[in-house]
Amino acid sequence: MTEAGISGAAAKPPQAATVRVWDPLVRLVHWSLALAIVLNATVVEDESLMHEVIGYAAVGLVLVRLLWGLIGTEHARFRAFPPNPVAAIRYLASHLSGRHQSHLSHNPAGALMAYNLWATVIGMGITGYMMGTVRFFGYDWVEELHEGLFTWLLISIGLHLAGVVLDTLVTRRPLVPAMFHGKKPKVKER
Amino acid sequence: MTGLNGTPHERRAVLLAAVILLQAVTAAFFVADVVADLAIDGALDDVHMWLEAVAAVALVGGIVFLMIELRRVLARMATLETVSQAARGDMAEVIDAFFTDWHLTPSERDVALMVLKGIDNDDIARIRGTAPGTVRAQCTAIYTKAGVESRAQLFSVFMEELLSGENEPPHPAG
Repeated sequence: MTEAGISGAAAKPPQAATVRVWDPLVRLVHWSLALAIVLNATVVEDESLMHEVIGYAAVGLVLVRLLWGLIGTEHARFRAFPPNPVAAIRYLASHLSGRHQSHLSHNPAGALMAYNLWATVIGMGITGYMMGTVRFFGYDWVEELHEGLFTWLLISIGLHLAGVVLDTLVTRRPLVPAMFHGKKPKVKER
Repeated sequence: MTGLNGTPHERRAVLLAAVILLQAVTAAFFVADVVADLAIDGALDDVHMWLEAVAAVALVGGIVFLMIELRRVLARMATLETVSQAARGDMAEVIDAFFTDWHLTPSERDVALMVLKGIDNDDIARIRGTAPGTVRAQCTAIYTKAGVESRAQLFSVFMEELLSGENEPPHPAG
């Protein structure tokens, strides 16, 4: 037994090893929610029954995701991506200095965005429901809040997409495919 | 979703996830309907309301149950992956993961690997150019970090990993 033979096994050549990060539930919720938002924002008539049905379904999707954040798989749980604005800002700043870290779950900035998107969808669901109730019927502020939240949702989605593009460019790691097949390249996690 | 052309486990996981989503959306509508009924009628009669409450709880309970089931399937997939990785000759990677987990120092890693390869302490000392006492001390540190008491137990940790596929045979070694 030579020393080269011994250390050879420990120092394996780098290979394209992947690790499962996004489980099927996370991926299905993500794309179903995206579809629901696109449908309600574009082709489906406002104030139609379809609009309401899709809206409530979107809220249902978010609730599932929140429950999954409590009892789900490792990378899907809230404790894998706690809401932490300070860490998010530090993460964004690290992009500027070029010393970015890899995160298997959401990176701190992405985590904040995820919470923001879920909260906004739920807020839209609540205001949408209120618009249909006798009690709040005809109150302008409810409708204005619903529309304000929609504007905020559009801004957020824009930032979300920009963040994905930026992160992919800076870290040179494929982020989008991971939301399709669920796997990220194995890296040393910080 | 690529799960559709994956392993049976993957297909099962995707199917389970889809069922969970469908059931959750249904439950959301049902609960919303109950709430709306309550808002319109003020209060429903007791029996009706209790039935709907029980149905709502059952629906949500079913979702939680399916979620736990999905987590089990996914955990099983991860285990099988480790096992088949080991069987494919990627044992080095599995060993490496354990060493990292135990926070072994670089020299402890070297020693531990040689121990696993069946080299005795004196030879390890010669190869590494250290005193046999150093190797013995390193071995003790390794055992402590691994939570085992002997060389044989250290082996058993890795055997366990290989055998943990339960009743499902690992893929035949390539």
